[in-house]
Amino acid sequence: MELDASVLETTPPARQPSAVLRAAIAVVVALIASVFLLFVLAPVVGLVAAGGGRGLSSLARDGELRASLALTALTATIATLLGVVGGTPIAYLLARRDFRGRSIVAAAMELPLVIPHPVAGIALLLVLGRGSPMGGALYAAGLRVAGSATGIVCAMLFVSAPLYVSAAREAFAQVDARYESVARTLGDDVWRAFRRITLPLAARGLTAAAVVMWARAVSEFGAIVILTYNPKVASVLSYDRFTSFGLSEALPVAAVLVLFALVPLAALRALRRERRA
Amino acid sequence: MISLQLVNAKAGSFHLTDVTFDVPQGSYGVVIGPAGSGKTTLLETVAGVVKTTSGRIMLGGEDLTAAPPERRRLGIVYQHAFLFPHLSVQQNVEYGALSESIAADVAERFGVMDLYERPVASLSGGERQLVAIARSLARRPEVLLLDEPFSALDPRTRTFARRQLRALYYERRFTVLQVTHDFTEAGLLGDVAIMLDKGRVVQKGTPEDVFRKPASPYIADFLGAENVFAGSARPIKAEPPDWLETAEDQVTEMPVAFTTGALTFYALGDVVSGPAHAVIRAEEVSLSAEPSTSSMQNQFRGRITEIVPAGALTKITVDASGTPIVSAVTARSVRELSLGIGKEVVAGFKATAVHIC
Repeated sequence: MELDASVLETTPPARQPSAVLRAAIAVVVALIASVFLLFVLAPVVGLVAAGGGRGLSSLARDGELRASLALTALTATIATLLGVVGGTPIAYLLARRDFRGRSIVAAAMELPLVIPHPVAGIALLLVLGRGSPMGGALYAAGLRVAGSATGIVCAMLFVSAPLYVSAAREAFAQVDARYESVARTLGDDVWRAFRRITLPLAARGLTAAAVVMWARAVSEFGAIVILTYNPKVASVLSYDRFTSFGLSEALPVAAVLVLFALVPLAALRALRRERRA
Repeated sequence: MISLQLVNAKAGSFHLTDVTFDVPQGSYGVVIGPAGSGKTTLLETVAGVVKTTSGRIMLGGEDLTAAPPERRRLGIVYQHAFLFPHLSVQQNVEYGALSESIAADVAERFGVMDLYERPVASLSGGERQLVAIARSLARRPEVLLLDEPFSALDPRTRTFARRQLRALYYERRFTVLQVTHDFTEAGLLGDVAIMLDKGRVVQKGTPEDVFRKPASPYIADFLGAENVFAGSARPIKAEPPDWLETAEDQVTEMPVAFTTGALTFYALGDVVSGPAHAVIRAEEVSLSAEPSTSSMQNQFRGRITEIVPAGALTKITVDASGTPIVSAVTARSVRELSLGIGKEVVAGFKATAVHIC
């Protein structure tokens, strides 16, 4: 197509920002990003700098701190395992199947994410406390929920499982359903195709989802403090030390908890690196 | 055999509607149609991956409408190979194989034996596709579903893969249903052609029939017919034209006069009256310096307006009284007739070359 010369003459060229303006915009954007990064990093670095050394050295002599860290790790692990067992089928169904009530299931799985965590604790206490029919029945069967490690697991599961389901759903969605179709035509039934094809292909994503859930469970406070104050997980212990003895006593516990949280973060980054490779 | 009777299916928001066709036992069926017409969904419905909402699917004479894919004794090869990336090439080929020796035999035929130890990620696109075909055939399927399996291959590999597949097909005589957008491929391979559009079968028959006698101008256009004219047709029963008596071809059909713009063509076929379309393949239009005295019933003088080389043939557009007629001629004819833009020529075609739809 030929261009009309008169159009070329009369149409003003698109205005480009000058080099100075572009440089100024870049400086402003860099400044905003730096301030934001500082806002996130400063409290964490400050906390570790102020209490990290003391926290690590107190690990040897502070039995309560060691017990709370062990309890935190154990309950978070149990909650994660339960989340994986219960959440994986739901994540798979949400990623693969179009069924009636799918949006209701999806919304239900996201509900705990939007509830304030102390409110989640109250709701769990209402359902699982000794005074409730279910809690009473469990208590009669010898399973005490409120005020026990079981309560901690329940609180952790409730608040962190949605993160697993959401990430696992994404992991399944990234595996093209046609791999399964091919496996089915090659003789696999649904379960065998899932086990031999989908699961291995989604494994990294599912592991990352479990790590995210574990990390979230470890850092949970609001729901746990309502359901089970004692025995204390690390987050409740740091709060307890702060309210009972002040900032200086809370610092070592809090710093150790931050260092503890770095473990899943490092695992997650390693998984992502492996995935990219 | 593959037999679909009034099959309806839904994949996401896409619907297959009342799909009915038969591909006889041991025959090669080709599914053609524009992008988004439901070709892949159709294959997946036959495979049982997409569930039917109504209708019947018979495979090998057995009603397998409700059977899961693993019970249908078929194989599917997608356009993208979908090799299992966490397995080696050998593990892929042997995944559903009836035996290791069958897998090895098919792998040998398709030249993927040398790739056996390699991880899937290291294969080229062509190698992947060959492995996918071998994987599917190692199960000895009775029905093979192919979703544009050769489109990603380079010409040499494509020829090799086609040849090997055809050899195995003639040897074992399984039934094939292949999706293709390449009508030359359909003509080369197919016994039955099924034209799909918007989830419906719009025409079926032998590839030759579909190619020569498209059921609508849309199909003609899709199949690459260069001359598709809108106009009106009228039967000429009362006054049969002179050429009808001297026509070389055995005339069993009725003569029809078709008028488009200032031109009137003669055609033979089902009597059509009123608004219609005329379809003439460019290869059926010959060019000459002077009117021919042969059985060419339609001859129009005009000037060449465009010359486009298209592979072995050259497409030449002749403006005949305002109607562009495209002819496909060999490079030799271009030279012999000294064809060039603006040159006056006579474009001619037989009445039997005109399809009214």
